Amino acid sequence: MKRILVLGLVLIAGPALAADQAAATAALAGAEQTEAQAGKLLNRWLPTEAALKAARAAMAKQDWDTALAQATLAHALAERSVEQATEQKTVWQDAVIK
Amino acid sequence: MSARRVIAAVLAACLLGGAAPAPSDGLAVAAADQKAFQAFFKDRFPKLPMSEWGNGPYAVNAEMRKQWEDIMQFPPYDFALDEGKTAFETKFANGKSYADCFDNGGIGIRQTFPYFDTKTGEVVTLDLAINRCRVANGEKPLKYQTGLIASIDAYMASTSRGKPFDIKIPDDPRAIAAYEAGKQFFYTRRGQLNFACASCHVTSSGDRMRGDILAPAMGILAAFPIYRSDWGSMGTIDRRFTSCSSQMRAEPLKPEDPAYRDVEYFLSYMSNGVPITGPGTRP
Repeated sequence: MKRILVLGLVLIAGPALAADQAAATAALAGAEQTEAQAGKLLNRWLPTEAALKAARAAMAKQDWDTALAQATLAHALAERSVEQATEQKTVWQDAVIK
Repeated sequence: MSARRVIAAVLAACLLGGAAPAPSDGLAVAAADQKAFQAFFKDRFPKLPMSEWGNGPYAVNAEMRKQWEDIMQFPPYDFALDEGKTAFETKFANGKSYADCFDNGGIGIRQTFPYFDTKTGEVVTLDLAINRCRVANGEKPLKYQTGLIASIDAYMASTSRGKPFDIKIPDDPRAIAAYEAGKQFFYTRRGQLNFACASCHVTSSGDRMRGDILAPAMGILAAFPIYRSDWGSMGTIDRRFTSCSSQMRAEPLKPEDPAYRDVEYFLSYMSNGVPITGPGTRP
């Protein structure tokens, strides 16, 4: 009976765990890609770098929940920094002393 | 018509027409920027003479000035100054010295840095020139931002005290591009806090930011390198730029990154006429 229960749990949890790992990996890859874009615009943010570092550390520990959360945060921050740099490409001129 | 006659005819036409080469639009824009920049600050702090702009917060806040005057009884940069003088006068292993790398033996030249090198097509800061001098003479480059490079920089600055910033922009599209890049960097908001250099040092200059009084951008580099109480040591312009970036929650660029050099070029050009006061001290 016990064996059946364990088998059942593995069958149920196995794909879920795999999905968590896949989700975290994908989230981290997406965050890194956007952060690279921010770097090209000379606008990497420190909190983004911190979140990426935390995500990578969690991945190494196979803590997929934390990795996913930190990668998602990093991605959101990186998107804001790209948005800021893109907007500032023209907006900065409004601030010039004339 | 011979080639010589063609050249003579062209020269004569130029002379008769008074057609000396006109400065490019880029240079005219830079000159207009400088005029507007200095007018803005003179309007914001109308009582401040040109000689005071290099004193940053101490020029615009009476309380801080009092404290500064007390501190200056024993300037905290004196040890660095002595160390820098000794290093500057010590010969390299090949028998040459820093004096061999600079105009006028490196004495009284700080006000001309940074300059645009038309051979290499880049902005050269004093710290970069110090390290290039070392490398050209078989020595290892110094670590940027603090330590011996700040001390040598301090000594060289001290020999320029009172000499007004005299930054030139050559009529070269690359120099104008460097100036424009520096200007853009200065006014561009970055980092999670969405600040530009200008946010603090133009529109809020003289105001308080927590415990600090924000220095006006005009003349802000004249006091470098500085001893900052917050650091507990000397720091170069690179150190200030990187710490400002961190304070905006933006990842700092590497010291002497071309973008930082361009900002230094822009800010120094904006401050032409402001006397060098470095080395300095700041809270």
